[in-house]
Amino acid sequence: MTTETTKMTARSVQVFYGDNHAIKDVDVDILDNTVTAFIGPSGCGKSTFLRCLNRMNDTIDICRVQGEILMQGENIYDPRVDPVQLRAKVGMVFQKPNPFPKSIYDNVAYGPKIHGLTRSKAELDEVVEKSLRRAALWAEVKDRLHAPGTGLSGGQQQRLCIARAIATNPEVLLMDEPCSALDPIATAQVEELIDELRTQFAVVIVTHSMQQAARVSQRTAFFHLGNLVEYGETGQIFTTPRDPRTESYITGRIG
Amino acid sequence: MSLLAQDTRTKRRNAAERRFRRYGLTAIGISLAALVMLLTSVFSSGLGAFRQTFIHIPITLTESALDKSGTRDPDVMHKVTTIGYARVINAALAQAIADNGIVIDGLTDDDIADTISKEAPAQVRDAVLANPDLVGQTVSFSILANGRVDGYLKGRVSLESAAIDTKISTRQLALADAMQDKGLMSRDFNWAFITAADASDQRPEAAGLGVAILGSLYMMLVVLCLALPLGVAASIYLEEFAPKNRWTDLIEVNIANLAAVPSIVFGILGLAIFINFAGLPQSAPIVGGLVLTLMTLPTIIIATRASLKAVPNSIRDAALGVGASKMQAVFHHVLPLAAPGILTGAILGLAQALGETAPLLLIGMVAFVREYPGAPPEGFFDPASALPVQIYNWTQRADPAFVERASGAIIVLLVFLLVLNATAILLRRRFERRW
Amino acid sequence: MTAVSTLLMLGILATLGFVLGRRRALASVQGDSRRLHSLPHYYGWAVAIWTVLPASVLFLAWQTVAPLGNAGGFAVLALALGGLVWAWLRSSATFRARNAVERAVMGLLILASSIAIATTAGIVLSMLFETRNFFSQYDWTRFFFSTTWSPRFQGDSDLGFLPLLWGTLYISFIALLFAVPTGLFAAIYLSEYAGPRLRAIAKPLIEVLAGIPTIVYGLFALITVGPLLRDYFAQPLGLGNSGSSVMTAGLVMGIMLIPFVSSLSDDIISQVPQSLRDGSLGLGATKSETIRQVVLPAALPGIVGAVLLAASRAIGETMIVVLGAGAAAKLDLNPFEAMTTITVKIVGQLTGDTDFAAPETLVAFALGLTLFAFTLCLNVLALIIVRKYREQYE
Ligand SMILES: Nc1ncnc2c1ncn2[C@@H]1O[C@H](COP(=O)(O)OP(=O)(O)O)[C@@H](O)[C@H]1O
Ligand SMILES: [Mg+2]
Repeated sequence: MTTETTKMTARSVQVFYGDNHAIKDVDVDILDNTVTAFIGPSGCGKSTFLRCLNRMNDTIDICRVQGEILMQGENIYDPRVDPVQLRAKVGMVFQKPNPFPKSIYDNVAYGPKIHGLTRSKAELDEVVEKSLRRAALWAEVKDRLHAPGTGLSGGQQQRLCIARAIATNPEVLLMDEPCSALDPIATAQVEELIDELRTQFAVVIVTHSMQQAARVSQRTAFFHLGNLVEYGETGQIFTTPRDPRTESYITGRIG
Repeated sequence: MSLLAQDTRTKRRNAAERRFRRYGLTAIGISLAALVMLLTSVFSSGLGAFRQTFIHIPITLTESALDKSGTRDPDVMHKVTTIGYARVINAALAQAIADNGIVIDGLTDDDIADTISKEAPAQVRDAVLANPDLVGQTVSFSILANGRVDGYLKGRVSLESAAIDTKISTRQLALADAMQDKGLMSRDFNWAFITAADASDQRPEAAGLGVAILGSLYMMLVVLCLALPLGVAASIYLEEFAPKNRWTDLIEVNIANLAAVPSIVFGILGLAIFINFAGLPQSAPIVGGLVLTLMTLPTIIIATRASLKAVPNSIRDAALGVGASKMQAVFHHVLPLAAPGILTGAILGLAQALGETAPLLLIGMVAFVREYPGAPPEGFFDPASALPVQIYNWTQRADPAFVERASGAIIVLLVFLLVLNATAILLRRRFERRW
Repeated sequence: MTAVSTLLMLGILATLGFVLGRRRALASVQGDSRRLHSLPHYYGWAVAIWTVLPASVLFLAWQTVAPLGNAGGFAVLALALGGLVWAWLRSSATFRARNAVERAVMGLLILASSIAIATTAGIVLSMLFETRNFFSQYDWTRFFFSTTWSPRFQGDSDLGFLPLLWGTLYISFIALLFAVPTGLFAAIYLSEYAGPRLRAIAKPLIEVLAGIPTIVYGLFALITVGPLLRDYFAQPLGLGNSGSSVMTAGLVMGIMLIPFVSSLSDDIISQVPQSLRDGSLGLGATKSETIRQVVLPAALPGIVGAVLLAASRAIGETMIVVLGAGAAAKLDLNPFEAMTTITVKIVGQLTGDTDFAAPETLVAFALGLTLFAFTLCLNVLALIIVRKYREQYE
């Protein structure tokens, strides 16, 4: 947290959905041990850009990405890069909690199993417990690890998904509006958790709530119509925005 | 750990991924190969049925043999059977062979006569009875050649097989070659295959699909007239009016189950209820139509309900809002909008019914029927065959020439199905609406 | 008077009733249709319905008891005329013609939808009745537990069900063994991997297989697959000399079932929410890992339902086994041996010369009832499973 090394660097990234130019020439640095928030009106391309960071856009046929995104000096869009390996390092949590129809244990163990991170059952148990603890869910589920994950409440499910994502030991954690399907109490729990996670990961969070961005993030990027309008310290963005569009948005005039 | 290099585990996982894809591609390949094999098998053995070997000779219709009385009265001439005509034809063929200078060692009169179909005398007799004035003249006829000779021209019969076949000799095959050279014998398009009635086991060359096509047509008419209105009525009730209760639940389960009941069970139903209980005649298109109606009803109901469901509620609300009754809203607004979908479903139901065989076997449609059924509505009660049953029937015959007939009949059946399905697809394309 | 001419007369009377009813209603308000309770044509319809409905009930009743004849024809027409006059007299401004017509139409709709139940009842009753006849002549334990099937003309036949059941299950098993993996993998590839071009070509082509009548498959088994298996597998391996065999019928039936399995699986797989796939891919799973470990387990109940439906089809399939499996009732493990099935024997016992007093004929009804019960259980089970599955993701 003390050393602000750059984890990922995006340079002149363009994204097209067919003819729709969804991301226009975006440059962003993602810092380690920092929560970076992407804000902006809906449809401005926040999710699209977030999905570029772990190449989830590859799964959409019509989507094309140009420009480069570097991770430790390596372009993740290099043809030699296997997205499967990339995604193990850049985990993702989605808007709607999406636990697999498996037990809580199997949900968390899924990532370590497919990536072969553990050598024995005992080791796997340990990883599962550690991930659930870090996701602040252990106390609630330790007695029913083999109950289906879909049986948990919405907030618990989302924390389960976070546990699932950190179980693969990623370096960057992407979160696409992780609280938008949750009630205020569950939201508060997850926000608290995000602040914890920062000690280990670079966290990137998309949110439509400016309060949330102000609460959890250290840096904020404001997107508008596919452009990155402004990017800087969260405090600075919210108190002294440089661009008139940012100001209009945070004061509620566009959005 | 660099992203640019794949670690061994990732390599292994990607290999598993490729293998998995290959399984998928293989499965698709197997399915398509099966389709290709099926169609190739049917077409390669069936296309021959559309061409038939004919013998072209002038026949002198001598009065002494065919109309001793000299009155040219068809009633009197009816007394001369096909045996009398056979003699005339055999003589004419022998004459034609001699005239063309064909000489084959050891060829007997019987050999010559046996190259002609047993159906040929009836052909000539029908022509003469239709026009008694032909008697006394020499008329050019194209008469059917025997099935074995036809098989020889189509490559089904060879010199080797003829050597061990009591029904054909190598001399006759040599004769066939010579007759072809002289233009006395050729293969022509076989309209009779589509229009003629079935023929007995001894004369595959004369067997046709006329009665079967007519029977199938009658049954399709019955199905269309019954299944479409009943299916639409039932769907309207279930989709638009039915309250949620035990009775409608029971109906729902029944329809879903009936759609999956083995078709042969419907045949048993038809036999027990329509024939044994209600006393309707065996082999009649009306019974077949009724059975197929019950069988296709679930298909039509399922399709109709889907297209009713696809009409958005705003249409109903709009009609109710201007004071229409619920029934007026449904009949005036919802039903017309759903009509293309309903029609498509009905056509697909018809296609299903057209190809169905098993239930028809049980209601006696396997019987050997040579007479065309009469005009509707009485014709619905006459014995008839049906396309798929005729195919089955031919597969049960001993003469291998019937395999060709059966495959040819399948081609006809597939063409009908193609037309039905293409109509359904066109309808869907033309009227498809997205709300 | 024939049935047809009676119906024709009935139609004419109904048309007449329509015209008269409409005219009388209009006359009762001096042609000012706004004063009528309903639109004028409803009055016409009301009269037409009253003309036709009671008369056609009588017509049907008479027909089922005895041929119509002159007496019946006149009775039907008299009733029609009575209905016409009665309804005509009621056609006045205050008569709620629309409600009356709609009630009648509603009745017809309900009647039409009850046909499904009537059909099932007809199936069950007709077979139950003859099955009882059969078991009054033939011991039911012998039927269900005997291992020989050899009907004899002179009576004293062995009509054991077990060899038929064995043949049926053996053939269905082979068919499913072939069709389920093939259909499932084809569906997976088409829905998860294939590009739009391949999908646009391969999907309809596979569906063509579903539109081909079973008699065509039967002939395919008889003239191509049977001889092929005999010449290249059975004879070289010394397993038999028969073109008709469990393998022949099973394989061809498997081909028939591929599109059935693949289109049902396709439906079911596409109902698994995209968010689950995203979740798995986002963790760095490959596509096949996602499919095998997330999509398929999530879709499992639906796929089980589809397999049960396919099994029900296989068990009830007739033409392929009639032409491809043979007629010898045998309890044997060799798949290249000709065996026979329940449906083959139903066809065999009910075609040709039948004597509805002899157990050799009646046994077909017992077979049919067993088949029906069997497939009913499979269908209902499958429907329940599939419905539960659908609700889960709605
Ligand atoms: N799968 C997709 N296919 C086509 N267009 C898409 C897809 N996803 C997003 N878009 C388009 O890209 C633009 C940005 O969308 P998105 O990134 O979801 O915005 P945000 O997350 O900021 O609300 C929108 O115009 C949207 O229509
Ligand atoms: Mg978004």
